[in-house]
Parts: sequence; structure tokens; C-alpha cells
Amino acid sequence: MRHTRALMAPSNHPAEPLLSVTSVTKEFGDVTALDDVTVNFHAGEVVGLVGGNGAGKTTLLRLLCGLYHPTVGAVEGHLDDERIDIHRMREHVGVVPEATGLYARLTAWENIRYHSRLNGIDDDMAWTRTERFAKLLNFDEDLHRSTRGFSRGMRQKTALLRALAHGPRILLLDEPTGGLDVTSARMVRKLVRKLGDDGGTVIYSTHNLAEAHNVCDRIVIIHNGTVRANGTPEDLLTDTDTDTLEDAYIALTEDIARTSTPDPEGKVAGAWRRLLTRGGGPND
Amino acid sequence: MTDGLRIKRVLEVARKELIDFVRDWRTVLAMILVPILIFPVIFIALPLFLKGEQAEISNYELTVEVQGGIPDGLQPHLEGRHLIFIETELVETGTLSNNTLDATRLKEGVNDGTLHAILRLRETDTNATESYDYAILSYSTNELSREAKDRTLEAILQWEEEVINATLAHNNLSNQEAFDPIHWDGDQEAADLASGGELAAMGLAMFIPLVVALWTATAAIQPAIDLTAGERERGTMEALLCTPVARVDLLTGKWLAVAVVASVSVLGQMAGLLFALSYLTQGILDAPTISNTGIALLLLSVILFAVFVVAIELAVAVRAHSVKEAGSILGPMILIFIGPTMFAQFVNLQGIETWWFAMPVFNITLAMREAILDIHDPIHIITWVTTSLLYAIGAIYWASKQFNREDLVESLS
Repeated sequence: MRHTRALMAPSNHPAEPLLSVTSVTKEFGDVTALDDVTVNFHAGEVVGLVGGNGAGKTTLLRLLCGLYHPTVGAVEGHLDDERIDIHRMREHVGVVPEATGLYARLTAWENIRYHSRLNGIDDDMAWTRTERFAKLLNFDEDLHRSTRGFSRGMRQKTALLRALAHGPRILLLDEPTGGLDVTSARMVRKLVRKLGDDGGTVIYSTHNLAEAHNVCDRIVIIHNGTVRANGTPEDLLTDTDTDTLEDAYIALTEDIARTSTPDPEGKVAGAWRRLLTRGGGPND
Repeated sequence: MTDGLRIKRVLEVARKELIDFVRDWRTVLAMILVPILIFPVIFIALPLFLKGEQAEISNYELTVEVQGGIPDGLQPHLEGRHLIFIETELVETGTLSNNTLDATRLKEGVNDGTLHAILRLRETDTNATESYDYAILSYSTNELSREAKDRTLEAILQWEEEVINATLAHNNLSNQEAFDPIHWDGDQEAADLASGGELAAMGLAMFIPLVVALWTATAAIQPAIDLTAGERERGTMEALLCTPVARVDLLTGKWLAVAVVASVSVLGQMAGLLFALSYLTQGILDAPTISNTGIALLLLSVILFAVFVVAIELAVAVRAHSVKEAGSILGPMILIFIGPTMFAQFVNLQGIETWWFAMPVFNITLAMREAILDIHDPIHIITWVTTSLLYAIGAIYWASKQFNREDLVESLS
């Protein structure tokens, strides 16, 4: 049974969304990575995109920052009562991709400064913001070190500071705690929660349910390219009549969609494999 | 977005890429030092080294067996050549070059250093004052044996000239009367209207287009790959594309950086080439004379060619999913630029058809040749400038199309 209908309505954000994804389908050749997805993101909430590998989380994040164009549907931003193209929203968005994307021959600060300059922010302002957040992450001593040889945690922190340096309204994080040690993961989660508490909007992709429960105001469960649930952790538990989020997730993703459209010849699997081998499809 | 902000962002992208290049010692070595040093090393250091090696060999005392005795006329020419002679009887009765009788002995002698060559002499009967048949047996893959042969041969040729002059004198003829009865009167160079500088420019016209084409195409490859496929592979492209900078501006910044690196590399190589040539031709050739118009047209042609080549290489590299894939495509692609350049070197500029100046790559090569030779045909200039601009714009457009591809954020890794 799918519980999407009951959980779709945002719990406590009746105002116009900051970002809206409306009936979006995204196809890569024969593969449908997202299928008729509708989801809104409101100002001041931390939203967790939860799903397994290949569920469509990264594809959705890339649609939200304009890297992908929907095959069908629309992804739009809303600022000051004005509907604007997603590409124009970019200066209000900070992104931490899964790969972090740091230049090894630059220091952490030079990486941050490069992106803040591209965002049109002057160095002093970027430095003030960076220093403030770096202290929260216990990273201020490492800002002038070359990123070559940085640990995964240090790279993640640098990428996070880079995404925050221009003061974005929305932060998109793709698996920000993946591969981090316990201490670093905790620091990142605390920072994200603080950003949410301070009125920031964070969209957070993860497959860690406990993490999503701790950090997020709202959870969107994505499975096989469709939104299976969209609500607060408590909503998910209530609507699935389960005691833990893990049970709720299993209940929501015990699948009907893929099994209801049998694929006896393995076309979808084959197409995914081909796409990934060519590097022409989504990572997630 | 204002144009000022766009330009600022383009320059910021280029600045960052240049910092990235400069901090990579391998790039500095491959793109700056090697191009500057390659011609001086080839044209100056290598000959100096070879000269040193030759001087070292010249000091060796080498042993030559003379079969048939040393004629009195040859003796003075053999002196002072660090040669030790062992005189023996001539046993060979057939052709003197036949080595059957002495091959084994000479090989052993060469290997243990006791014998380096065998000179065979047999007196013959002619009308010359002296007349001999001769042959020198040597082992040409051994440097000392080759050297022994060269020294002996040089002495014999000097002796031969002396014999020729004596024979001619005996018949009341001078060397010129016998061998140069119709001869050029005066200095041949003085009769040439072309100045030394113009002749030097003609020599450069054969070098410069080839160097520019070869090195622009080669120098742009590594940075073009690093800034596109390399960024995809390292995962930095996705973060970069998430910034509010338009993709065409990102591409322009990257293009600018690659063009600067390639240009510095080409200019460095040209400077190295000119230095090496001027060093080698001291007192032989004059400095090339090229008019200011020629220099301006040469620079314009280099810039347009760089725009074209760098844009094409960026576009191809963007399509690749990995550095390896990009390298395997761009490496052989150099031939597309070098082939026509080499071909165009042999096209006769006198009476050349205008359509040559409309053909990609050919047009720039021919334009460079004309610019260096100070041939300024307005029709040719208009044709190559217009077509080169069109090709450059086309290449940039294609590159920007590639840079707008959705799968640019994906990589094999």
C-alpha cells in the first residue's frame, strides 16, 4: 500500500514554497529516474530526502539546482512573491555535492573564496562568514592548508563552508555525512540543525533514517523515482502504523511500483548498467 | 546581470585556472620550460656535446695497417693525425675493397683495440704524375674504426688534390682551367637583390608556421583536458556548475586560461628557436627583417589559430568522460592541424589561388608565411581573416554547445 496521498501535504508551511517541484518526470534515455514527482520546499525548514541507492535523490537535488532539466513538469523558485526560473535561484542556493569537488592545489580558504567570488561576494564578507562557521565545525585552524591530503571529513567541512560563504537562503546537501567519522558527522548535523533553527532552508539527502529523524523537520521518502511519503517523522510513524522510522520506511517501500510493472527481460537494469558504464546517467 | 560582473567572473575563472597551472610543477615543466629549452638544447647543446665527443675521439692514437707501403707523396699528409702505421705486404690480388682475406683479423683487432683500419694501396700506370688504387677496410659500427678510416681518407684526399694539381701543372693547366673554366665572377651573394634579413625571414617562414601549429595544438591539449574531463573526473565540475555563473562564461574563463598557457608556451618555444638560430648563424645570417604590418598580421594569425584550436580541443575534451578518454581522442587529433600545416609549407606563394586562404588550417599557415615574407595581398588578408574568424566562432559555438550538455556533471569515477 502506498501512503503518499496522506503524507503529501506539508505539515506546517501553508505559505508559498521557496522551491517547488511540480509533476516532474526525468528520463535518461530509456530510464525514468524520477516519475511524476511533486514536492515543495518552504523557507525555514530542514527537509530530508531519504531513499536507497538509485532512488532518485541526487537527480532531484540536481534538478533543484538547475543542473538537470525536467523531461516533464517544472522546477521553480519563489522569491518575494515572484515566481523565478531555477537558474536565477542559484545565487540563493549553496550546494554540497556528494563528491565535494575541491581543487587539490588550492587551500581550503582559496576554494571557498573562488566560489564566493563567482557568487559575487566580496572577500571580507566571505571570510567573516567562513570564519564564523569554521569555528562551529572546529575547522578554523585548517582554512589555510592545502586541501591535498585532507581527510573525507575535512573535505566535507570545506565544501560545507564553501556552500555557506555567500549566505545562501537554501542549502542543498548530498549525503553530507557519508563516509564521515562519528565526530565529524555529528558536527555537520549540529550545524545543519542550527541553520534550520536560525531560519535557513536545508534540503538534505541521506539514506540514514536515524540521522534524518534527528536533523529534519520533514522527511521525503523517495523510492524507485517516486515520492512515497512526505511529512514529519511523526506523520510517517502514524500513517504507517509503525513504531520506528525503519519499519515505516520498509512499509513505504515494499514495492508495488516496480513489481507492478514487471521487467522480465531486465530492460531497466540493463539500461541503468549501460547508462552508468557510459557515465551518461544519474548517480543516484 | 551586468556585463561588468560577467567579465569579472570570467576573469576570476581564468585567474583560478592559471593559479592551478602555476602550482603544478609538471605543467610548468611541460608547458613553459620544455618549449623554451627544446630548440636551444637541440641546436646548441647537442652540437656542443657532439663536438666534445668528437674532440675526445680525436685524441685517441689509432692503428692503421698499410698494405703495399706508404708512398712518399702521402707520407706528409698522414703526419700529425695521431695514427700509428704498421706496414705490410699487399696480398690481395683482386679488387682492393674485397675484405675476405682480412675480415677476421680486423674484427679481432678492432675488438681488442690493436688494429682499427687497413689501408690497401696498389700503384697503377696512368698519365698522372702519381697513380694508385686504394681501399680502406674498416668496421663502421665501431667509432674508433670509423675515426681511423676518416683520418686516413682525409689524408688520401689531400694527397690526391696535390697529385691532380701537379698533373695539371705538368700539362700547363691550372686547377680552375681544368675544373672551373666557366666560372662566376665576383660574390654570388652580392648579385642577389634580397637582403640578408629577407633571406633570414624566408628561412623563418619555413619554421614558424610549423612550430606555431605543432605547439599550439600540442600545448593546448593537457590544459584543455585538465579543465574539462579532469574536472569531471575529480568531481569539481558539479560544484562549479552549481554557481550562478553562466556556462558560457565558465567556458570563456577556461578557454582564456588555456589560450594564455598555450600562447606562453608557443611564444617561449619561438623565443628558444630564434635564440638557437641566432646563436648558430652568428656571422652567417643577418637578423630577419619583417615589417610592422607583417608582425601585426603574424600575431593576428597566431591568435586566431589559437582561438580555433583551443576551442576545438576544449569541445572535444568536454565530451570525454575521463582524462584517459580525452587524451586518447585529442592525441591523434593533432594530425588534423599538423598535416595541413606541413602540406601548406610546400604550396608556392607566387600566383597562389585565393581559395587556399579560405581552407581551415591551410589559411593560417599560408597567412603566416606571407606575413613573414612581407607579402601583403589585401584579397588574401581579407579572405584568411574572415574565414579564420568564422572557423573560430564556429569552434567556440560548438564548444559552448558541448559545455551545455546535461551530462557534464557525470563522470566515470
